Amino acid sequence: MRQLRAEAGQASAGKELRPQRQPILSVADIAPSGRAISPDLRRLLQRHAQVKRGTVALSSGDRDVPGIEIFPGLRYTETCVDWLTPPTIIDATFARMDPLHHDRLLHFDTETTGLAGGTGTRAFMIGAADWIDGRFRIRQLTITSMAAESAMLRAFAGWLSEDTVLVSYNGKCYDAPLLATRYRLARMPNPLLGLGHLDLLHPVRRHWKGQWENCRLATAERLLLGVVREDDLPGSEAPAAWLTYLRGGSAANLRRVAQHNAQDLKSLAGVLVHMAKMERCCRLP
Amino acid sequence: MAELLELNQAGALGVKAFTFDGDTPGDARQAIRLHGDIVVSNPDMLHQAILPHHTKWAQFFENLRYVVIDEVHTYRGVFGSHVANVIRRLKRVCAFYGVRPQFILCSATIGNPQEHAEALIEDAVTAITESGAPSGDKHVLLWNPPVVNPDLGLRASARSQTNRIARLAIKSGMKTLVFAQSRSMVEVLTKYLKDVFDHDPRKPARIRAYRGGYLPKERRAAEREMRAGTIDGIVSTSALELGVDIGSLDVVVLNGYPGSVAATWQRFGRAGRRQQSALGVLVASSDPLDQYLVRHPEFFQGAPPEHARIHPDQPLILLDHIRCAAFELPFVGDEMFGTEVATPWLDVLGEEGVLHREGDRWEWIADSYPAIAVSLRSVADGNFVVVDRTDGRQTIIAEVDYSAAAVTLYEGAIHMIQSTPYQVEKLDWEGRKAYVTRASVDYYTDAIDYTRLKVLDCFESSHAGCGHARHGEVHVVRRVPGYKKIRFYSHENIGYGPVNLPDQELHTTAVWWQLPQAVLEAAFEQRQQALDGFLGAANTLHIVATVAVMAEARDLQKSVGSGDGAWFVSADMRGRGQLRGSDGQPAALATDAPFTPTVYLYDAFPGGIGQSEPLFHRREDLVAQSITLIERCDCRAGCPACVGPVLAADEGAATTPKALALRVLALLVAL
Repeated sequence: MRQLRAEAGQASAGKELRPQRQPILSVADIAPSGRAISPDLRRLLQRHAQVKRGTVALSSGDRDVPGIEIFPGLRYTETCVDWLTPPTIIDATFARMDPLHHDRLLHFDTETTGLAGGTGTRAFMIGAADWIDGRFRIRQLTITSMAAESAMLRAFAGWLSEDTVLVSYNGKCYDAPLLATRYRLARMPNPLLGLGHLDLLHPVRRHWKGQWENCRLATAERLLLGVVREDDLPGSEAPAAWLTYLRGGSAANLRRVAQHNAQDLKSLAGVLVHMAKMERCCRLP
Repeated sequence: MAELLELNQAGALGVKAFTFDGDTPGDARQAIRLHGDIVVSNPDMLHQAILPHHTKWAQFFENLRYVVIDEVHTYRGVFGSHVANVIRRLKRVCAFYGVRPQFILCSATIGNPQEHAEALIEDAVTAITESGAPSGDKHVLLWNPPVVNPDLGLRASARSQTNRIARLAIKSGMKTLVFAQSRSMVEVLTKYLKDVFDHDPRKPARIRAYRGGYLPKERRAAEREMRAGTIDGIVSTSALELGVDIGSLDVVVLNGYPGSVAATWQRFGRAGRRQQSALGVLVASSDPLDQYLVRHPEFFQGAPPEHARIHPDQPLILLDHIRCAAFELPFVGDEMFGTEVATPWLDVLGEEGVLHREGDRWEWIADSYPAIAVSLRSVADGNFVVVDRTDGRQTIIAEVDYSAAAVTLYEGAIHMIQSTPYQVEKLDWEGRKAYVTRASVDYYTDAIDYTRLKVLDCFESSHAGCGHARHGEVHVVRRVPGYKKIRFYSHENIGYGPVNLPDQELHTTAVWWQLPQAVLEAAFEQRQQALDGFLGAANTLHIVATVAVMAEARDLQKSVGSGDGAWFVSADMRGRGQLRGSDGQPAALATDAPFTPTVYLYDAFPGGIGQSEPLFHRREDLVAQSITLIERCDCRAGCPACVGPVLAADEGAATTPKALALRVLALLVAL
């Protein structure tokens, strides 16, 4: 090991205490970059790291990610669909909020590299939807490289204004804190801070907990809106879909993630409108 | 913490000080992150909760001025090496927020406070070694329980003696604190004292127990009552050692040696009100280390010889923390992590698939939270969990390091948890699980451990008497073919059982002593005697070395073999050195074959944990201390406290195992 370190241009194992006394910067300055690592040590580390097979760079012919590239590594899609007719003023009493003009609503949902939380989880797709001239506008940002994350965060921040009211499903506990972390790591102000946020999970739970098998968005959309998804990619497979693409593999599942995300946004709006109307019916008599 | 709050209140300082630990309720955590001026936490919380979520602590980090690390003498060995890496991660996160906090470290007395502090924070420190606190006389009493059976070298139990001393002290009106090694021992001693002092239920209790596993509320109540002075005796585990404020006391009694001189002083330091004299009593148990220390009172005088050692660049520990660090912030370019360029380690993590390289940045990409899988107290290779199946239950009652599993969790092993014996019924090696049931047995088990070492590289060599001492890199193959059953107290060998486990291979560092063949042939009539002498010497050197580097006994291992891995020696059924070939089968050495037995002390972790170099530098000391240990031991022929257990048959032998070990050690004494 000592020899390996020597080969790698590092302090010898037996002398590790001495260089540490120097200010760390000077060590960084003088140390040649160590690319070498002894085969023995490498085997030890690999066994420990449970490297089963090297993550081979994939190569697929299907690399088609929808949308236009608005920044290197950042793709943008925009579609307008006819989807429900929202009342102009949304009665949000069910969510313990004042009535809202539907113009102010921005439905949003992120697709992330996992559920582990902490600073190591990121969003690779942000979908957001709003009502424009009676039609439902769905916009999605997808990064195809890590470096484009800041551009994506900047673009999303541009969609928010101070009177935007966010609509989400479990976004208060999941999407919003996750984005707050990403903005912090990118050294940008958090544009979500201080915005109104209508998280539909809580009112749905209050109404239907115990009546439904669970209160997931998929359950709510099926029972309230009659939505049946075809060829839906389960949310749990989204991280792998993006990672496969990132490593040079097929984009097929990444496109399915985008469809899944778009449907989530439509269902968000659907559940919101349903609950707002339900509230009014209940209160009328 | 109590003192902080008191000070704050007294001065109306308006400083917001909070504790952030495993007991902190979820709803209080956000307030602490946003409003805490002083946050009191521990390395585990920093490692698993704060650093991986540093963005939530952004405000706190942006204003961080001081990092105070108390009790740094406890951050040594494996744990200390982990903590040094947690500090590297902390500094890295601080740099992200543009701050460079000043570190303030406090330690109980150790031999190398400045060096140790510098190794921990990898920066220059100024040592302040004068204490300005007023203090009265301190009396230290080392108490070895009287011998009750001279033939077997059996002494009265430490428990009964501890109880007796505590009773006497409390009766004389002295506030007394008793430290016990396990939670169950706390309960036993508390009961004994309560039987004497708290038999009248109408009066307020005078005796209290304090240990982990109690609810925080209960512990706080005990602390308050101690500070208020309504309690006369408190019995505790090490839970009370660190930073818990209970006011001042007159007498501290330790039921058994706590593992290091520094920790002993730390606990003794609990006694002593301003300028009044105080008493610390160490009651030695039958453990070899205790018996060694109680015979070496010089250890407790003047500056203790112990040095705290860490090895933060231990490859597996380093890899684990680079993994955690990469989760916290991406690595960019040829970034250093401590003293190492991180790139080769990042490559390995890239191959594992947890990092993705883009340009010169390494980004975390996996859906996992690595800090959860990294324990600061082991060199992970997958810990084993111990599952209690007594009465159809399925309860996890303990975790065991991978490196210790083969010698403690084999099927048939008696595994002691808080002095309760459990028997291992089934070991699932792949699944890292051992299934146990509670057992009522009068014996414990000791793995027969065939270890074969091959020297790969010698770093340094020196003469040691007629032979040589060296340290360097070794390849260790360890096999556990069976185990011995040993009766409690008498340490008689009462049976054997077979073990069927895969060989353990280990690439690590070691220090070793060797004597040339000609010297041995002149000193010993038979080779067998030389082998027995080496086995005894190995046992003694191991005991002495464990104290010298403040190691946990299991972190440092011993072995006797040839210098080239051709054969090794283990104690056979009669306690005699049995030569075994590389296949582990008993072998006889041809009379013309080279004969150079070697005693090794090696780090029990892959890649080593940095103990062999300091041991090499203290090689002469270790041999000298080993000789003194054997000479001063009360046994006649040998016992677990010196050269290892001996059979009754050897008790009367003309040449005792003790004498043989002394002969080997004498040849290693520098001329």
